[in-house]
Amino acid sequence: MILSEFEYRRPKTIKKALQLYQSKTEDAVYLLGGTDLIPRIKERLVKPALVIDLKGIAGLDKIEHSRSWLKIGANVTLYELRNHPLVRDAFPALHDSLEATSCETLQMRGTIGGNVLQDTRCLFYNKSDEWRKAKGFCFKMGGQVCNAVKGAKTCFANYASDNAPALITLHAEVKLVGIDGERQIPLEAIFSGKSDLPFAIKSGEIISHILIPVKNTRGGYLKIRVRDSMDYPLVGVAVSLVNGKGGVAIGAIGGKPLWFDFSENEVGWGERIAREATDIVRPVANTVLSPAYRKKMTGILVKRIARKLSEEDR
Amino acid sequence: MKRIKLNFTVNGEKISIEVKPYETLLETLRERLCLTGAKEACGLGACGSCTVILDSVPVRSCLVLSPEVEGREVTTVEGLSKDGALHPLQEAFMEKGAVQCGFCTSGMILTAKALLDRQNKPSKSQIVKTISSNVCRCTGYKKIIEAVTTAAEKMEVT
Repeated sequence: MILSEFEYRRPKTIKKALQLYQSKTEDAVYLLGGTDLIPRIKERLVKPALVIDLKGIAGLDKIEHSRSWLKIGANVTLYELRNHPLVRDAFPALHDSLEATSCETLQMRGTIGGNVLQDTRCLFYNKSDEWRKAKGFCFKMGGQVCNAVKGAKTCFANYASDNAPALITLHAEVKLVGIDGERQIPLEAIFSGKSDLPFAIKSGEIISHILIPVKNTRGGYLKIRVRDSMDYPLVGVAVSLVNGKGGVAIGAIGGKPLWFDFSENEVGWGERIAREATDIVRPVANTVLSPAYRKKMTGILVKRIARKLSEEDR
Repeated sequence: MKRIKLNFTVNGEKISIEVKPYETLLETLRERLCLTGAKEACGLGACGSCTVILDSVPVRSCLVLSPEVEGREVTTVEGLSKDGALHPLQEAFMEKGAVQCGFCTSGMILTAKALLDRQNKPSKSQIVKTISSNVCRCTGYKKIIEAVTTAAEKMEVT
């Protein structure tokens, strides 16, 4: 498949990257590993005039460990993060989610910043230009219909990051750098809730780091996919227990992860959240698995992780 | 559009060429350097048939922009044999019959080579996990796993 034409720049500083973006505004895109972006350009889902490669920026490929935070540069690969001793020992939900992301070769290329900022996916959207033109453009392509749900007034594309739900249960924050300065916000605040435009960050803003509070946690991540060797989640569930407080995040159904809180002392929290999550998720027929199956599996995955955690207790 | 000057190393040889800014490494290797060992199948990073080694890391060359490899070292399947002698992985693939149509083979071998370079004597489950990055539609993987295991043993002896 052939890429559309664009200019390529590799700035050495974030400041320069922001300036380059401003020079092209809507027609510029940032590139890290490219495992999400390059296929999107090939399918003409995005037609940038300028690709700004952030891999040349010093410091974005580092993992720093202080007493209170694990500070992960956006350009750290999933493979490197997965093999970090603190992630392996203290953040099992994140570790499991990294291991479950795609395949080893793509983990070595894909980055944590890119994984979190990947675009939403739909069976009727991630298609070639020809296919989409023949079918007619949907909301996410700037059209006026949803090709997955007849008569729908909104987009239902799924946010298919494995790592974001895990990071949310660990209370991760993101550091954003824009032309107006820096800010640090909870990871869950970057989502707009809309499937067609999933992120609420400002145009041109760069996620430079992801920060996780350093605490010993227990937890896990499970996902449903068609090919175990390498596939996007069709539903993913992350659970973490931090100092007696628990969090469950459900990913890959709808435009943003959903999350639930519980206390470790609550008897039967797994059953309760499984029931509530199953009730609240609204999967539609936009993946290769049926909505009914994904809905049912949401609760089952919650219960499986709850059971694993209670067995660890014994 | 203005072309970009690119200096990088391919299979030990220094290359200096001009590429389009929107050219993939796969296109540069196949169409400019006539190294057709890396194959294009899906073109979207799903199958692994275009895998090459960038420095020491296996990458999908269809997802890498050529300007990104400035100053770096690329190894393709053509660069594995030394002085006319095949790499132990290449020999093992022949010996075990791990090749049928051959389209996935160069990607399989390079993914396996990167594994053997970073890990001495990997377990069978590690081999399975690593080569599951690559899709083969003929062999059912059994012979490929055997070949990588044999090559790992051979490389440990030598």
